[in-house]
Amino acid sequence: MAFIELKNVSFTYPEGEEPAIRNLSLQVEKGQFVVLFGSSGSGKSTLLRLLKEEIKPYGKLDGEIRLNGSPETGFVFQDPENQVVAEEVLHELVFGLENIGLSTNEMRGRVAELVHFFGLEPLLHQKMQELSGGKKQQINLASVLLMQPDLLLLDEPTSQLDPVSTRELLDILVRLNDEFGMTIILAEHRLEEVFTLADKMIMMEKGEITVEGSPREVLKNIWNSPLKAYVPSIPSLFFARNGQGEVPLTVKDGRKWIQSESVYPLLDLQQKSNMEEEVVRIRDIFFRYDRKKDYILDSLHFSIMKGEFYTLLGGNGSGKSTLLKAIGGMLKPESGKIDFKQNCKLGYLPQNPKLFFIQDTVQKEIQDTMKRWGISNRVEIDQLIEDFEIKHILNHHPYDISGGELQKAAILCLLIRKPDFLLLDEPTKGLDPVSKEKLAKLLKTLNSGGVTILMSTHDIEFAGKYATKCGMMFQGKITSEGEPVSFFKGNFFYTTMLHRLFRGLASPAKEKESCEF
Amino acid sequence: MLNYFERLHPLVSFLFYTGALMIFILLFHPVYLCAGLVVVLLIHFMHDYFYGLRYWLKFMLTTALLFFLLNPLFNTRGRHLLFLIGNHRITEEALIYGGMNALSILGIMAIFVLYNEVMTPNKLLFLFSKFLPQFAILLMLTLRFIPLMRRRLSEISAIQLSKGISISHGDLKEKLGAAMQYIQVFVTFSLEEAIQTADSMKARGYGQGRRTSYEHFSVNIRDILAILYLVILFSMIIFCRILGYGYLKVYPIMGTWQLSNLDYGILVLLILFLSFPILIEIGGMIRWRLSN
Repeated sequence: MAFIELKNVSFTYPEGEEPAIRNLSLQVEKGQFVVLFGSSGSGKSTLLRLLKEEIKPYGKLDGEIRLNGSPETGFVFQDPENQVVAEEVLHELVFGLENIGLSTNEMRGRVAELVHFFGLEPLLHQKMQELSGGKKQQINLASVLLMQPDLLLLDEPTSQLDPVSTRELLDILVRLNDEFGMTIILAEHRLEEVFTLADKMIMMEKGEITVEGSPREVLKNIWNSPLKAYVPSIPSLFFARNGQGEVPLTVKDGRKWIQSESVYPLLDLQQKSNMEEEVVRIRDIFFRYDRKKDYILDSLHFSIMKGEFYTLLGGNGSGKSTLLKAIGGMLKPESGKIDFKQNCKLGYLPQNPKLFFIQDTVQKEIQDTMKRWGISNRVEIDQLIEDFEIKHILNHHPYDISGGELQKAAILCLLIRKPDFLLLDEPTKGLDPVSKEKLAKLLKTLNSGGVTILMSTHDIEFAGKYATKCGMMFQGKITSEGEPVSFFKGNFFYTTMLHRLFRGLASPAKEKESCEF
Repeated sequence: MLNYFERLHPLVSFLFYTGALMIFILLFHPVYLCAGLVVVLLIHFMHDYFYGLRYWLKFMLTTALLFFLLNPLFNTRGRHLLFLIGNHRITEEALIYGGMNALSILGIMAIFVLYNEVMTPNKLLFLFSKFLPQFAILLMLTLRFIPLMRRRLSEISAIQLSKGISISHGDLKEKLGAAMQYIQVFVTFSLEEAIQTADSMKARGYGQGRRTSYEHFSVNIRDILAILYLVILFSMIIFCRILGYGYLKVYPIMGTWQLSNLDYGILVLLILFLSFPILIEIGGMIRWRLSN
């Protein structure tokens, strides 16, 4: 008998027109590592929540959900910030244990053991808000694990994290699965990282399971579907070249394969661009939020040319958001100057687009923005709405639409004013690959129309594909920058999968018969 | 630093602070108030050389001055007329009463500053979670929400500024309108996010039954002795106070400044009570010296 069994489950939210889950059947064995993926709104979260009694959504449920042996279930949510209850790390950790009324002695035993396993000793008495997103999420996971669950459910736990923290969190999950046989169901967008971990992958679309199986089977299936965008770059390369044998998932397998087939990268040396008009130049700016704390921007130099598509990379807390805000005029640097060479109109997209909206529908927000900037011509805006494919959400509350739609609606509001310099703070955060591709296309169109774009992102693949220039931020400075190809070639960790694949293998002589980046 | 005092059980610190506050409220006599204030200042000096107090100094002095000046202005009762301002009687009683009020408020504020430095929210939380678990959770969430609120509001104002909505430009009506919109965004956003917090709490078994507490503070023999010391001193003070000693009678008839024998006894008890942290520190230091 399977550990978890779902038989013809359908679920409809109270005011939903369509069921969020339709006629879904699923079996998960004990000790399996299952990865759920699919576009936002495909019902992944609903499915996960249905498996956890305490947070089961209200609505109409048909079919049968059987958890055999009534397992203890742990749940980790998407946003590291919102799960936090206590001020201090230790209190956060024991929150669940206190709730279930465990005796002090037993609590202490469990805490001592787990804190050691996670290496959290130095953090125990720190304040939660002072930790990075990655650490917060680790604490959230630890707090759930203290309750000793048999089944761990995670709803896009890494979507807010930088690549290094993501890796760390996933490594812990692998250990839990390998060493303790914990059953894990993980919903995730960034498949690059999880394809190698999973025993079973499940793709959901509109509340149904469309593809299910081992990672390799699933990859092959979705490569031949319109949802190609989900396939990570190494397997894509393999499929695109009609590779023989087993699909390589890791860089290690990939390197073996390219050597056996003598595939070489096309060193797509982008022609030196003719972008020479400087938009903004920053020299030696310093900024900190508190006089007692360290500088967030520390003697930073930066300049951007007109028409550039610049991506800022770097870990959480390296100062990317602060730099964007300083350029946007929302923060005043302590010293140094931000020198605008041209009179340009700025548009700023915050990291959390929810805070961007002041009105209660998207439509009203658009009208309000038009009024504020004295724009009365609706034709162009209607065209934009058409292009952005957001007509159906115009009368929705901004909080009721998906992350991708929210992102687009906010960008649309920015475009009303016809800005020529866009500052985007992690616009790719939490987007599924399809929405991300759409966003990229949109930004590219704007960019080729002459709009300068400066965006921060954790998405290295995105930066590698679309940017004209990349910069790495570290401790309040831009420590390296360059065009994507040369930039990523130099990096070891902060680099795309393909660069890792071809590291040290590029042979200029054979450039001709090679694949494209 | 109040090394040894801070390491005692939170209940001890809590008893000390409540007792000290009561003393400043109940023992209304210039001699007691002055003596108490000197001792509390001494504790502050030992703790951080007045560093924490300096921040509050201006506020404390203005409040005390206000208390001192306003009482004779509004209160004309008393037999000993000092002088007249127009038709307004300024009496000795009113001045003395105002002065004592000022001293009392200074003492109370000094105690509160010290309290803030030593009684971290955690200790308070711990004390309450034993008796009132639900209240403790509420307190914990509130404590977390205050800095969170500040961060969110500054984030909102930055973002809206970038859109051209600002509370520092335009006429009053525009400013008010913008401020209202900020609050609206803040409230909606916070409620929305709170749903997730609630889910996370529920997913970790919140509300399933009686909560227990991960105790970091255990009561040892030293704590018991300290509690006995504080409770005995404090009950003696209160007992004397009930008998009618330990305060200066101002109305209806001004009492004598002279302290009776029992009043001197109260003075000693008061100093012993308030200097408890100092005694603990000195004791600790001596023991450390001896053991090394």
